[in-house]
Amino acid sequence: MSEEFNWLDYAEPAESAPEPPQRSGRRRFLPRLPSLPRLPRLPGRPIMPGLPRLPMPALLRRRRAEATLEQPSATDLLGGHDERPLDELDDRLLSLRERSVASAQPSAESRQELYDVDDVLVTPEILEKPGGVISAVALSKAQQQQIELLRDIVGGAPQANEPSGRRLLRAAPLFSLSAVPRIIGTGIILLMVSLPFVSPDFAEGERPPSDFDEDRHGAIAVYNLLDNLSTADFVLIGFEYGPTAAGELDPLADLLIRHIVAQGAKPLIVSSKPIAIVHAQNIIREINRSVASAELRLERGSDYHILRYLPGGSLGLRELSENFADVVRVSAKGELTGLVIKSLSEMSLIVLLAEYAEDMRNWAEQVMPEADGTRLLAATGYAAAPIAQVYADAMDEIAGLLVGYRDVYTYGEKLAFNFGELPQAQPEVAPASPETATVPPVETTGEQAAQLERVLSTAFPSPTKTVLPTATSLPTTTPLPTVTSPPTATHLPTATATLETIRIVEVISPQQVRIRRGPTTADDILQLARAGDSFEVTGANGDESWYRIALSNGLDGWIAAFLVEERMVTAAEFRSGQASASANLADERVILWLESIVSLGKTRPRFYQSDSPAPGDELEYIWMRDRSQEAPRLHAMTFGTLAAILLIAVGNVFYALAALRRRGREAQSE
Amino acid sequence: MGRGSRVGMSAFVAFIVGVAAILSLLLGDNPALFGEQPGSDELARRLALPGDALLRLVVIIVAVSIVIGIANLLFAHIGRLAQRKFTSAVLLASFGFTIYWYVTRQGDTSLLEAVQVPIESSLAALLFLSLAQGGARVMQKRADIWGMLFVVVVLVVLLGSLPLAELAPVKTWSDWLMAVPVSAGARALLLGMALGAIVAGARALLGQDRSYRG
Repeated sequence: MSEEFNWLDYAEPAESAPEPPQRSGRRRFLPRLPSLPRLPRLPGRPIMPGLPRLPMPALLRRRRAEATLEQPSATDLLGGHDERPLDELDDRLLSLRERSVASAQPSAESRQELYDVDDVLVTPEILEKPGGVISAVALSKAQQQQIELLRDIVGGAPQANEPSGRRLLRAAPLFSLSAVPRIIGTGIILLMVSLPFVSPDFAEGERPPSDFDEDRHGAIAVYNLLDNLSTADFVLIGFEYGPTAAGELDPLADLLIRHIVAQGAKPLIVSSKPIAIVHAQNIIREINRSVASAELRLERGSDYHILRYLPGGSLGLRELSENFADVVRVSAKGELTGLVIKSLSEMSLIVLLAEYAEDMRNWAEQVMPEADGTRLLAATGYAAAPIAQVYADAMDEIAGLLVGYRDVYTYGEKLAFNFGELPQAQPEVAPASPETATVPPVETTGEQAAQLERVLSTAFPSPTKTVLPTATSLPTTTPLPTVTSPPTATHLPTATATLETIRIVEVISPQQVRIRRGPTTADDILQLARAGDSFEVTGANGDESWYRIALSNGLDGWIAAFLVEERMVTAAEFRSGQASASANLADERVILWLESIVSLGKTRPRFYQSDSPAPGDELEYIWMRDRSQEAPRLHAMTFGTLAAILLIAVGNVFYALAALRRRGREAQSE
Repeated sequence: MGRGSRVGMSAFVAFIVGVAAILSLLLGDNPALFGEQPGSDELARRLALPGDALLRLVVIIVAVSIVIGIANLLFAHIGRLAQRKFTSAVLLASFGFTIYWYVTRQGDTSLLEAVQVPIESSLAALLFLSLAQGGARVMQKRADIWGMLFVVVVLVVLLGSLPLAELAPVKTWSDWLMAVPVSAGARALLLGMALGAIVAGARALLGQDRSYRG
């Protein structure tokens, strides 16, 4: 048997049974244990009578010879490790070994079946020597490069008569014609992704809605659960992503943390990835940078905690669930947190930011069984979503799931809308200007008035109540967006005013419908409407497929005609119905808004620069983040996907046609 | 100690430790299993102790192994400096600079955001380009019905992800693909992993799963 590594040793097993491997002359300190009698083999099971001991490749033998005691190499350790004698192997291991040896044979079929990797791993060609004896393997240049690089990596010295890997790489051409299609494809994708950042004209694609659709129960649950947190709550955040997923998950992490701290709850951040711990600290640093006043900045150790790293992956998470009290005792910097929390069940919520499906699996399987009723909210990237969705559907403990950048946009819009804007004014009472909007006087009676009174008295005790005597003098809101009416609108006849009837549309779609800035689905969404909502019609587009309607905030919006039913009503009827609906809506929102102040005012308000907001005070919101790049990013995603679709479609059509032509030629030649 | 003795001993230790950990995690801290008898709480607490101890032991060993791994990496690259390996010098310099930065700037970790996040994000973005290029060449490698099916599914899912109202019908197909076949595949994977974990654990406990090198 040749001592050299030779492919044909596998193809043609040695005729004579090789001598069984003998142990080297090491001393035995204990006698070998007697072997148990073997079970009879099943008839027909092929067992190779004996396998040749594989000779060590020349490279490994050289490395072993070069290694010294002071500088042992991995190769040396590998070479010095005795294999188990074959007679110690049971049938299963023998069978496995037999299969692995058999699979090492390069066959003609395997060359054809190397799907998509044959550019990288070229099957070696077998060269025939003049004497007709096949005994050498010819390596391609690419393979030689790979071997030389591998030798560099494992610390082997370059061979004297062989060119080194680096020299070979240097000699390789930097450009070849075969790379042209790839370069063009990459260039097209990069160009299309860049366009939305260059000019706002490239804004293809609908933006995500400003509120989650009704069928997104999980996403709605995430928002609502976080929105119901209060200052007494602790939220455990599993920060399971590193720099690789930062582009996709940073905005999600930023929003969720802002929402939690805005509610006054305290996040406890923990991770089984050491780098994620550092990254989480940096996310909070960025949040603090976006807050102008030092009073509102989050302080480590009081407003939030970053707990120690959990080594061991899934085992580390198991330890978190089993020994939660110990884990929360020490921070990532090794300091005592002062937290006395006995178990996971004392957490109000668990929020998981997962980069991989594996993270979701580990948390669902190792942590949640010990959570004892505490619910988990998950936020993942698109790659982990399919597996995460399975867990979200199957486990009651998982309350909701946010996925990717589109959910970030909607979540941010919803958060901004609910906390950033006060109840909208009715146009008749307080017409909205592009700059500011004030809260209209809200006439409340009966139960609503009592509820408002209760909330106000809780929120602002007597001294403060003088600052905010009624719900009508609430602080100024953030600027409202200006709306430009599309020039193509055709105004409807104005005779309705003299007849005291107006043209209205009522939403008939059972699902939420979108009111847009213009008469196309590409225009921005201004607000959502539900079945039964009615609006005054102020115009329509040319074919009346879209109606221009007056919104309650004084702006104009557009709604698709097939979603609504048109009819004529008297102005008085419409106004009375609208006023009643608006008052109810405004009351509800004033109450909600004030209740948020009540909950925040329990300890330290996170929304305002002063503890007692007065009219004219500038509001500063902890949730405010730079969202200027969100729309271009969304459009870039759309353009990038479009470019990929084009590339895939064109490329495959081209290659399919080429394959058809090739097969036609082969058929003709046969 | 002979090889056979060593192998037998390691299998025995693995079996004992594994069974103890499983029983402890299963029965510990679960007094309901022992009924309403006096002392069941204490019994359940005691039964949890071995599992907790083993779990902590593993976690500590993993943590220490990280430190050893870092030290080994450094020593290996220090050794490679003698061979004039430029890449090792870069690695060691980066290591030293990061430590220096962290210590002299009171724990400033902005280097992570300034260097590593952009680099890793760029590499992740390159994956998109590679996948698009690979997707464009499917029919070059496999011009048959399966390749065609693959391309069609990819295009349907990508088209369905586009936020364009004109593609609403495609979105319906895309949603179905994601909700039914993809979800079924994901569930099958999870079931397979769970079954595989159980089988691998049982084989390791019974001493059957050892590499043929020992």
